[in-house]
Amino acid sequence: MSDSANKDRRIFLKQGLAALSTLALGETILLTAEDANAFFWNAKKDVYGQRKSVRRPNGKGRLKNDYSKAVIKKGVCLNCSTVCGIQGYVIDGKLVKVSGNPEDPNNGRSLCAKGQSGPTINNYPERLLYPLKRVGKRGEGKWQRISWDEAYTEIASRIRKAVAEGKPEEVAIHIGRSRLAEEMNRFLNAIGSPSLFNHRAICSSNKRAANYVSLGETDWESADFERSKYILNFGSNFYEAHQGAIHAAKRIIKGRYDNGAKLVTFDVRMSNTAGRSDEWYAPIPGSDGAVALAMCHAIMEAGEFDRAFLDTWSNVNADDLKAWLKPYTPEWAAKISGLDAADIQRVALEFAKARPAVAAFTNRGSGAHYNGFNADRAIVMLNAIVGSIGKPGGYCYTVEPTRVPPQVFPQPKPIPPAPTAKSVIENPPEWPLANKWQRMKVGQIVYKYLQEGRGKVQVYMSYTLAAPLTWPEGRSLAVDVLKDEKLIPFHVCSDVVYSETAHYADMIIPDATYMERWGFDTRNNMELRDYVTLRQPMVEPPAECVSFVDSLIEIAKRVSPETAKYFAFKNHEEWIKLRCEALGKKMGEDGFAYMVKHGVWQDMSKPKYYDLFNWELKPDEIKDTRVDEATQCIYKKAADGKESVVGIMANGKARRGFLTPSRKFSIYHEDIEAAAKERGFTEDGGKGMPTYFPVPSIEKMTPDMLHLVTFKWNVHTQGRTASQKYLTEIVHHNPMWINADTAAKFGIKTGDMVEITTYRAHGHAMKDGGDVLGTALIPAYVTEGIHPKVLAVSNTLGNMWHGRAATATNGKKKKQAIPAWNTNIIDDDPDLDEDIWWDPAKGGTGAGYNINAILPIQPAPLVGMQGWYDTVCTIRRV
Amino acid sequence: MSVTKPATTPRWKMALDVERCIGCHACSVACKVENNVPLARFRTKVYYWDTGKFPKTRRSFLPTLCMQCEDAPCLKACPTKAIFKSEDGIIKIDPDKCDHEGACEKACPYGAIGCDENDVADKCDFCSHRLAYNMDPACVETCPADVFHFGDANDPKSPYSLFMTRYGAETKVLKPEENTKPSVSYRGHEVAMEAKIPKGRVHDPYSYEIETWTQLQPEFPKKKRVMWAKVDVTSNVTMAAPGTKKKGDAA
Repeated sequence: MSDSANKDRRIFLKQGLAALSTLALGETILLTAEDANAFFWNAKKDVYGQRKSVRRPNGKGRLKNDYSKAVIKKGVCLNCSTVCGIQGYVIDGKLVKVSGNPEDPNNGRSLCAKGQSGPTINNYPERLLYPLKRVGKRGEGKWQRISWDEAYTEIASRIRKAVAEGKPEEVAIHIGRSRLAEEMNRFLNAIGSPSLFNHRAICSSNKRAANYVSLGETDWESADFERSKYILNFGSNFYEAHQGAIHAAKRIIKGRYDNGAKLVTFDVRMSNTAGRSDEWYAPIPGSDGAVALAMCHAIMEAGEFDRAFLDTWSNVNADDLKAWLKPYTPEWAAKISGLDAADIQRVALEFAKARPAVAAFTNRGSGAHYNGFNADRAIVMLNAIVGSIGKPGGYCYTVEPTRVPPQVFPQPKPIPPAPTAKSVIENPPEWPLANKWQRMKVGQIVYKYLQEGRGKVQVYMSYTLAAPLTWPEGRSLAVDVLKDEKLIPFHVCSDVVYSETAHYADMIIPDATYMERWGFDTRNNMELRDYVTLRQPMVEPPAECVSFVDSLIEIAKRVSPETAKYFAFKNHEEWIKLRCEALGKKMGEDGFAYMVKHGVWQDMSKPKYYDLFNWELKPDEIKDTRVDEATQCIYKKAADGKESVVGIMANGKARRGFLTPSRKFSIYHEDIEAAAKERGFTEDGGKGMPTYFPVPSIEKMTPDMLHLVTFKWNVHTQGRTASQKYLTEIVHHNPMWINADTAAKFGIKTGDMVEITTYRAHGHAMKDGGDVLGTALIPAYVTEGIHPKVLAVSNTLGNMWHGRAATATNGKKKKQAIPAWNTNIIDDDPDLDEDIWWDPAKGGTGAGYNINAILPIQPAPLVGMQGWYDTVCTIRRV
Repeated sequence: MSVTKPATTPRWKMALDVERCIGCHACSVACKVENNVPLARFRTKVYYWDTGKFPKTRRSFLPTLCMQCEDAPCLKACPTKAIFKSEDGIIKIDPDKCDHEGACEKACPYGAIGCDENDVADKCDFCSHRLAYNMDPACVETCPADVFHFGDANDPKSPYSLFMTRYGAETKVLKPEENTKPSVSYRGHEVAMEAKIPKGRVHDPYSYEIETWTQLQPEFPKKKRVMWAKVDVTSNVTMAAPGTKKKGDAA
């Protein structure tokens, strides 16, 4: 919209619509979206994509971005967890387009559809622009605008009360994909609370734990796909949704089509990845570990393993490993997985013979199971057996990729000490490995433990959280707890749109988007170097939107002087500046200016992390050390006399080794054995080796039962993207996938209504296994692209809120009028008024179904990862 | 793959290596954001096609856009001469001259141009406004799979020319029977999928629907669509009381 048109509208507003002061302080709902739109359309002539009703008199086509006026600002995407580097094009103060940051080592100038959709988040007319306080019952949706001062004062006083009562742990922040955990930990540490609840266990904790156990120092591999010759993909859909999807897909495409790599995928559903792989196999859910062990067996028996690597670098040598793998034959795995033994054997040997430029890797398909930790360990072990760990084209990794390196970007001092208060919700004793390597926690039990009274909260702050949509038992248990004022006495939600979580809050504070705020980010770098990226405001947040971290800083200053002293900086920007000082010294230039200009820092001072375990220690690192005769580990004495392991002697040299207790690649791990013993977990997987044990719920399935799994679309990320019109235009409907043969048996055709009944899980720390959890009605989509015993429903869609694009409702819905919208600040969008073609009122299929309500909470033993794909169900045609 | 400013007038062309495509829709969304394309209107669109019987199934993709035909039917059909071919080979539209009658849309065999009484004629122009500032078209820039090879056909070193030198013999145009001499060519696409691209109307948004993935139809009027059971999402979930046993199980 042009400046002059804006001006015209402002004038019109003043003269013609005094009543549009919805936004006056203290007033409750005055204006419905209908009123706003009716008024708005009269005023507005200059729109894109004109329709007859608003055809522009001058006949000009759609506006074109005038790049002569564009200012480029670097940043980092956050429309999924891959966090690609981006650059935004700002024209006349508006972010009109983003593209990949060419300087980002992971994605370069590429972005996926979600990344490209970014600017529509900023410009969504249903963005929250003002702080709100609930005036009706919780969950009723009645709101009153309040001032920021009122919001800060109330939050701070409630926190003060909890601290004064000696219960700082009852102040909790519950986050989804925030990428601001450092800031939030600092805030909570400053008030003495350990209660940062997260979502790692419903995302990836089994995979991460498997990498930690095996490699010792990292939770996420960076396989060198571009140079690979053979890629074994267990349950990752990296063409669409893997964490690091674009980073991996870019390189796997190059590996396949420029380097001749073969791609074999194991997945129960034909994802884009499976449907485009050279070979796709659909094992029974939860059997990936058996398949991987059988492949290990086949490779060892055929003598196609890397003896030098195993005997030097594995804590179980080749002969012992071969003997131990004896029972895990392809025929054994075939019975469990339903695959052909011959296929398992052949693929295993093809993989081994292409060594060492080969990689076997995992994600949720293998990991999100009761036995997923062991499955992923077995898959990682495949790489060790063929000696591809750290090799060009192989299973490479970097030093800890999931945190901003504190030695390069140190936090401003004073740093608050770790809290002494404990929270059983944050650190539940049932899962001793959940917080062992990093605080991955067991996020899916938060609401359950609150309901059972095992933990309490007084102040519950939610951020980037879509729990009512995306948590297991989300729309059921999570909503019940969120609604209960006894269990959650005060809930403040920071969000960008009026979301499912915001709906159950007592106070909503309007957030800045990831294109309007500060923040560091990092993750595994496929180019095998340390790197850190910077989010910065490409544009200022509109109206009264404030980034959540800036809110926390303001709250901290109001809680008490004791808390405030840890936040002696003006705002988040200054925190970032302070943290860049050390980088500046290191580089001999202004570190903050460098980050602002480039959006990324990459440490080029070291070689790429190929063969990291094999790196020789430097002379200063081996000074004053001793070698333990039995283990060959190198010990160094610190000033306090305590010894620690710094490396291992291998092939005659002092080397870094793996950062495991044995300093070798850990096939066996004593800590797992100890943790299992402590918990009385006596299954095979409890003995320290990556053995297979069946998923109890699956083992107990009756013949009438089917598996129910979920998946992500390439254009959506869990519960927070459905409001983005161009993404939801592509996917807005998520019927239940069912195999054609299975459907025929039940007499089900595409479009028919099906009733799914799910059952509670069996297993450790679970009660009521086998009891009915709930039922859902959902239409069927009959396809050849899924295993006959498996049903699949996407974990996305089924939004009740999130505005018109998400709820598939054109135009003017009274119930959607929230007094924190203002079309005078963010233009209404004619698309959302009349062109949501997927609106059921126009014969469309939009809005979808939320199946997570009836997926049982089922944490895996020891690690606590949600067994997303262990759900068993029965169905009937309605 | 950045565009270098040529000394002489360039001849922009594109070749798509479809074997590499991952069906991610990044090109389409980049295009929509870049060009403010309304919902239900398209300059580009990616088609899906599922074939085979479990477990021998396969998915194919076909990204589509304006073919910038040398012999452009839309241009010939336009009675008001709103459509013209620019020197660089790109078919462009002067919206001031558009009569909103849609003759161009009816003439296009590639579903690439939309124009009706409600909308000005609009289609892909290789992001000419970006080319003017040395930027690749939005789809080309963002593609994670290097599907798009774009550049000046007169420059032997352009990504387009380099690709054609290596793979030119393996490329085809879509719907060659239309004889429109497209400037866009494809390598490795499933020819059968061309049937998904509508002739005489802009891309049908309904072809995004999952149930169309197995079909080779270009459009889905209401009578050809699946009748989906109506589900009231405010009441389609019922949670069982604690301790409820599976039917047939002993209590």
